[in-house]
Amino acid sequence: MGSIKDNLLAKEESIETHGYYNKDLRLKEQDPIKFEILYTKALQAVINAREIAVAISASPVVREIGECIFGLYTPEGDAITLSIGVLIHVHTMSRMIKWMIMNDYEEKVGLKEGDYFFNNDPYIGGAHAPDQMIVTPIFYGDELVGWAGGLSHVPETGAVEPGGLPASATSRFHEGLFMPCTRIAEHDEIKKDLEILVERSVRTPEWWLLDNRAKITGTRMIRERVKEIIGEYGEEYYKEAISEYVEDTRRATIEKTHKVLFPGRYRAVDFMGAGTRTLIHCPLEMEIKKGEKMFLNFDGLSSAGKHPHNMTRPCAEGFVNCMVVQHLFYNTRYNGGTVYGMNLNLPDGTICNPPNIFYSTAILGTGLALSFAMNDCISRAYYAMGYRELMMAPNAQTSGLYCGGIDHYGRNFGAFNMEMSCCGMGPSGVMDGLDTAYAQWNPEADMGDAEVWEQILPLIWLGRYIHPDSGGFGKYRGGNEIESLYFVENTDSLEVGSFGGKLPFFTTHGIMGGYPGSKTYRNVTEKTNLAELIQQRKDLPHREGEDPANPEMKCLVKYRSIQMGSEGMYRARPLSRYDLYYQTNGNCSGFGDPIDRDPQLVAKDMLNRLTSNETARDVYCVHVDLQTFQVDEEKTQKLREKRREERKRLGIPAREYIQKTKERILRGDIPPIPKAMYNDVLSISKKFRDEFKDFWRLTEDFKQIPTREV
Amino acid sequence: MATEYSKELISDLLIGRLPSEKVREIQKYTDEGRFEKVLEIEQERLGWAEKILLCLQEHLYVVEKGNRERVVRCSCGHEFGDYHINWKLNALVYERNPQDGEVYKGPKAADPNYMILREFYCPGCGTQLEVEAVPPGYPFVFNFLPYLD
Repeated sequence: MGSIKDNLLAKEESIETHGYYNKDLRLKEQDPIKFEILYTKALQAVINAREIAVAISASPVVREIGECIFGLYTPEGDAITLSIGVLIHVHTMSRMIKWMIMNDYEEKVGLKEGDYFFNNDPYIGGAHAPDQMIVTPIFYGDELVGWAGGLSHVPETGAVEPGGLPASATSRFHEGLFMPCTRIAEHDEIKKDLEILVERSVRTPEWWLLDNRAKITGTRMIRERVKEIIGEYGEEYYKEAISEYVEDTRRATIEKTHKVLFPGRYRAVDFMGAGTRTLIHCPLEMEIKKGEKMFLNFDGLSSAGKHPHNMTRPCAEGFVNCMVVQHLFYNTRYNGGTVYGMNLNLPDGTICNPPNIFYSTAILGTGLALSFAMNDCISRAYYAMGYRELMMAPNAQTSGLYCGGIDHYGRNFGAFNMEMSCCGMGPSGVMDGLDTAYAQWNPEADMGDAEVWEQILPLIWLGRYIHPDSGGFGKYRGGNEIESLYFVENTDSLEVGSFGGKLPFFTTHGIMGGYPGSKTYRNVTEKTNLAELIQQRKDLPHREGEDPANPEMKCLVKYRSIQMGSEGMYRARPLSRYDLYYQTNGNCSGFGDPIDRDPQLVAKDMLNRLTSNETARDVYCVHVDLQTFQVDEEKTQKLREKRREERKRLGIPAREYIQKTKERILRGDIPPIPKAMYNDVLSISKKFRDEFKDFWRLTEDFKQIPTREV
Repeated sequence: MATEYSKELISDLLIGRLPSEKVREIQKYTDEGRFEKVLEIEQERLGWAEKILLCLQEHLYVVEKGNRERVVRCSCGHEFGDYHINWKLNALVYERNPQDGEVYKGPKAADPNYMILREFYCPGCGTQLEVEAVPPGYPFVFNFLPYLD
């Protein structure tokens, strides 16, 4: 028996050489029932751990939203099984364990039963500072037989802004306290000195510290249960079985890929931004070739930059895994085998694989853009195979608020509101997307109770509604988002910021004729007469209302200033009592031509205030009686015929369009932000450069889009 | 035991006639023979003499013609040429300013300095086949090149 590091290196070499994780599935074939029962017991152990942790955690994000996950790992750090929860971290905790092994923790730091290691460094494993994981080694006798891990999202990290997701971060040093693979407990006892470090470094230390206790409890439960299981099945059986579980998943991943996805080359692109100064290019080429692993090639990503939307490689891999597990491999085991069943290319130096650890990854919205491109490619491959009900058009770029200061109990605090855990969901090829029901990064979506959030944050809801017309229009429409209006109450010291979407452009795209969902945005109304309106029992604003350009928070209150729209993220800034903060939090794109939509579905949506009268008429071309909500089929037919003729009149032949646009490119007549994006990607990606030149029929020596001719 | 659904059920599924509960039930199992079943349904529905090899996307099919030429064809019969070539190159294109007020109202629209909507229409029937949300100057996305052989 060599060192753990020797075993890990040998395992990696074996996978590289042979392609498989385990040579055969001997135990599975010998006695499949025994094999499955052991797996189910391990799965029960991690699910129990999660449920207990959720029950005892202090953090509203864990308690209300369930933003945590627990897993069991092999001695080399590959996931065997995971609970439900934040699925991107199947892989990131695996990365943490492997990093510790490769950095000689066995020899130089020491590993023994009762040790607990904490990590929130995303370049080792994780996504950003709030994603905090704890792992503990599992020994059986003297032998390390695995690891138990738990992760939760802690909504305060001592960053430059409150809440752990600082929109203004331009480097790692703005993100707060990092503790890379630090031993925080020995002999099952938490180290007091490290607790003092946390108490003096973050705004709301009790969430961090009590979450640690929840994770230590959960991982300890897993450790003890695994030892019982080994006692029952024998050490040799257990060791062979866990390797087979990973291999079984690897094989199932490849098998399912070929069963449900048509072979071919698929391409999609989405865009992200960090405020108004950047446009981030997130392209995907997915290739399904008979007999081979699915290849996801992200060549063409923008460079890493001085903004918070970079992602570490472990996190990017985590997002990819999270998406395929939900959209594709939802009925196989989910573990390290999923990772070995695919090939990925995340080029060095790009936004998803920064050149060094100083690049900020605080908000990592780029990961969602990658996921949307995957939704597109996987959906098309399903469609071609006939599984239209399994499609899911690109999902929502989630967007929320964070705040800090003195809360309504007079205490220092920093936190964020995870209401955006329930965005609109993508439609399939046979059905609309669900409204306010889904978040890609945590499929167990739950927005939490407003009353509970009101106990935690000094913000009170004036209204929470499904935002009409927000989901992308299409034959099947995207799920609509939540719109919320809050006012500040019982504090004289509050700063509020926002992260995620709220960009000046669409962050998703429709497929097969559907439109993207609407932009997300915020309205901030300051120095209002809301207190007076409440006192006088006058009409209060509750929602945006019928006219988005003249919303209720603009028309029903008097104010000194109002800021409306989407200029991107919004660094925390002070708000006063009775100021209003309105936001929309993320919707989904549409599928298919909107004028193919069943007119009865349009009328039903109008009745439920999910689709406006104007959209029904102008986009869906449906004639509905506004008193009875009855569809006039004949008039609808005429409106739709007219629209088809309009399109034929307005559209120009593609080759003519290409020639005109090529001339614009050569003149440098491209707006500055997209031009900067193109020129960045043209300089770092040969693949993109070759395709760009080929498509626009540019000369071989073309390198950059020029400065505009005057 | 392999799951299989009747042709009638799949036919109802494709036209969106099934209740959501039934769709959810079907979503749980990936049945056998779906590809062939869907092609058969579409072949009957469209009544084309030429064989449909693949449902490429909504309204678009790859069909094999008598001379073994494989082309992309719209449900209206309009042909876009060899399937190896992006069909968008033979479509009608309309570059929409998202702020034109026709689709998105007020703050819901993207700023055209960042992103335009590129709508691709069938020249035969005017169906909107794809909408790209891309910055000005972005090459057409070649969404899907099937490996038929």
